[in-house]
Amino acid sequence: MTMLADAGPDEPAASWRIDRLGVVIALLLVVALALPFATFRATRIASGTGLLLHEALPAPAAAAAAAALVAALAGAVTLRRPALRLAAGVLALVALALGVGAAAAFLTPADNPYARIAPGSGFWVGVFAAAMLVTDAMVRLRLGPAGRLIALAMTAALIAALLASGAWSRLSLLAEYRSRADVFWREANTHVILAAGSLAAAVAVGLPLGILAHRVRRLRDPMINVLNVIQTIPSMALFGILIAPLGWIAANVPGAHALGIRGIGMAPAFLALFLYSLLPMVANTIVGLNGVSRAVVDAARGMGLTGLQRLFQVEMPLALPVILTGIRIVLVQNIGLATVAALIGGGGFGVFLFQGLGQTATDLILLGALPPVALAFAAAVVLDAVIEISGRGKP
Amino acid sequence: MIRDTIRPGTILRVLVLVALIAFLVAPERFAGLLAPLTTNNAPPIYNQGSLVDLTLSHLFTVAISTLAAAVVAVSLAVFVTRPAGREFLALSRAVVNIGQTFPPVAVLALSVPAMGFGEAPTRMALFLYGLLPIFENTLVGLSTLPPAVVEAASAMGMTGRQRLLKVELPLAMPLILEGLRLSAVIGLATATIGSTVAAKGLGEVIIAGLLSNNLAFIVQGGVITGVLAVLISDGFQAVARQAAKKSGTRPQTET
Amino acid sequence: MIELSHLTKVYGDIPVVNDVDMTIATGTITVIVGTSGSGKSTLLRMVNRLIEPTEGRVFIEGRDVSHLPAHELRRSIGYAIQNHGLFPHWTVARNIATVPLLLGWDREKVRARVAELMELFQLDHDQFADRYPHELSGGQQQRVGVARAMAARPALLLMDEPFGALDPIIRAKAQADLKAIQRRTGTTILLVTHDMAEAIHLGDRIAVMDGGLLKQYAPAADILARPADAFVDDLIGVVDRPFHYLTLGTVGAAVEPGEADGAPLNADASLYEGLGALLWSGRKAAPVVDAAGRDVGRVSLDSIAERAARPT
Repeated sequence: MTMLADAGPDEPAASWRIDRLGVVIALLLVVALALPFATFRATRIASGTGLLLHEALPAPAAAAAAAALVAALAGAVTLRRPALRLAAGVLALVALALGVGAAAAFLTPADNPYARIAPGSGFWVGVFAAAMLVTDAMVRLRLGPAGRLIALAMTAALIAALLASGAWSRLSLLAEYRSRADVFWREANTHVILAAGSLAAAVAVGLPLGILAHRVRRLRDPMINVLNVIQTIPSMALFGILIAPLGWIAANVPGAHALGIRGIGMAPAFLALFLYSLLPMVANTIVGLNGVSRAVVDAARGMGLTGLQRLFQVEMPLALPVILTGIRIVLVQNIGLATVAALIGGGGFGVFLFQGLGQTATDLILLGALPPVALAFAAAVVLDAVIEISGRGKP
Repeated sequence: MIRDTIRPGTILRVLVLVALIAFLVAPERFAGLLAPLTTNNAPPIYNQGSLVDLTLSHLFTVAISTLAAAVVAVSLAVFVTRPAGREFLALSRAVVNIGQTFPPVAVLALSVPAMGFGEAPTRMALFLYGLLPIFENTLVGLSTLPPAVVEAASAMGMTGRQRLLKVELPLAMPLILEGLRLSAVIGLATATIGSTVAAKGLGEVIIAGLLSNNLAFIVQGGVITGVLAVLISDGFQAVARQAAKKSGTRPQTET
Repeated sequence: MIELSHLTKVYGDIPVVNDVDMTIATGTITVIVGTSGSGKSTLLRMVNRLIEPTEGRVFIEGRDVSHLPAHELRRSIGYAIQNHGLFPHWTVARNIATVPLLLGWDREKVRARVAELMELFQLDHDQFADRYPHELSGGQQQRVGVARAMAARPALLLMDEPFGALDPIIRAKAQADLKAIQRRTGTTILLVTHDMAEAIHLGDRIAVMDGGLLKQYAPAADILARPADAFVDDLIGVVDRPFHYLTLGTVGAAVEPGEADGAPLNADASLYEGLGALLWSGRKAAPVVDAAGRDVGRVSLDSIAERAARPT
């Protein structure tokens, strides 16, 4: 499954008709304009007051933002060329992003440094509608892998620029970040190590296991069945269950404690993520190798390639796209699951998320939830592109 | 992707189910088994609520969210595969693919600001996340039917509705069930985390164990949820296999 | 009588079927033959409106088919296709009963009709009625497909490469069975194929299509004798032409008085079969008997050869 790349054949354009999807998006944008654009809270956890666009921004800025949104709205309904629709969507997103930053600056009272200004429901609905428009346009543009990577890089650059320029600095989310910047990057580091490290371990173990199960048929079903059962166990349950054996090892195996093995913390989280990752790796390796046509394998054998030569020169390269798909599944899944690791003291972005939930601090929840969402999304786009490139010239 | 998953011993499964029920009904009898996991005379059996109640409300939350997700997702998938909804097909596919990269726990956490604490955000998150696999599988099921069969249905003089109800949905059923299975399994897991936002469920037991450093709680909470997930997943697969067998198609279990 | 009038289908700018006029007599088999991309299947599908024509009309017994709701029209027309399109989740009996049930026949009548058709198509009711399509052989699936198409006694049966997926031996039998069943039921059949031999064997009349145009529409003998253009000539095949021709006549028609030795030939065997029998047994002539086994004369290589020559 390649995101944004599987558009169906377009219907031949009938003379002139209103784009029905555009109508839905336009309605959403109207709703967005009618909902509070920003919320004002006197303190970090006080309840907020919603402010409409014209209340949240000085009149000229509010007019400009509204104009941009109305233009995008009109574009969604009337424009047909995907590039133009994309432009309309991007215009709306930029207007929303700049608008919300400006609103934060405008609404922050000079005498109350504890006041928090957060995006309101109108902002989020608007972002959703504009994102739909952009997604639809991208689907219709049918970008190749390179095009999608460039689009992702541009989006990341745009967000980085907004962060660096200080346009968003008055937003509550960033206030939350500033007060714990050190911890944030430490937990980010932990999160990536958990997700990517367990992936690496799963590749190192899963590939050989998959190859083994491909060659030794009778291992296949039992192996897949066991891994299937592990995948089915809820993450919090598995994290919890693993605490027991790891705690025992830490206490009873000499040297284990020195290696960092603990009942609580990163070790059970890492192990759990590793175990979850094995099924997609092993299963996709088997499926990939099974998918290599018999004729090709026979030809390789007929030309005198040894078993290992056949494996590395013929079978593995041909199975690569399917194996990469397994890696994509694992990475996206692990980025999400690593968030849960915080519950057993494993660290990662989940630390903020669960702290936020504990304190009913929305900003802190967002600080913990948005980075893994962004990471998972970026990982999916990048790996989809890699999979597509690796699959070129192969059946 | 891998054909036919596990079928070792239905007997084993029945035994596990019986053991689970026995534990839920009379957990004190198993205290001796869990006692070695505790320290400082901590209680080996969860004592802040009835395990049966927690299990039932956990299952209830998953069941209604998955059911609601199924109704909405199947209807949407049917809509985008009819001529009237065709123009939404490509976008809906892309949205589902993007949506599936969202971690379920993030969806749960993000629905808290919108809905407050308790059962509501958990059910909302389970519902939203549950839509994705069901929609995707129904879509695949409806759009990969053998063309000759669909054409035959039209050519026999079935109306659009008859074709959908008598031919397309029954043939897509194994895949729809697989989507339901995925949703239910993800829902079971996410509902555990729902306990951190005060939804009543088995996560409470695990969290209580984590907070009081009581391994016995963690293990019993974890094992109950794990066993439930495996049994429910197996149940769906068994039903899907039946459905596939009847329709003469191979079960398409995506892993 | 079925009338196709100025029937045209255009995709983009390309006419796939281009201004076709055809009249099909009730109770006959008409075969549309052509290469792939000739528009033959599109033409067939416009009859039951699986494809809506860009221009032109189809009349069945004088009624314009576009005046009926499509699903009602289709219930009155049988349709059988190459990959049979059997509903995999329904039993053989349920598949055959599809259209009668859609038409709201009562249960008993449907049951009787299914039994009747299964007998007609040589499918043992007890053995096959409750089986699912994937439990049948290719030939059995094909027969169920045709039985299903004929279930509601349609006056018209459309068939799109109905024998395409069968191996040669089963195909020959299926063709012979279809011909026999058609003679018995008097159903009007419009059949599409790419195989000229099949067309000559089955068709009372043959329509040759190429590039969306109807090149020639005539009885098989005329097509063989007077191909309209080089394309039709090619489709027949220069080498095969005399042999195709022989499949059209019977031994009985070439009987001459006299006697011959060896095993007798049946008068209703085709001349093609007669020629084969003579050549293989090394005889110049063979005795001929009629259906009752009475001696009616003899047939010789010469008399067969006369009938393989282009008529003047």
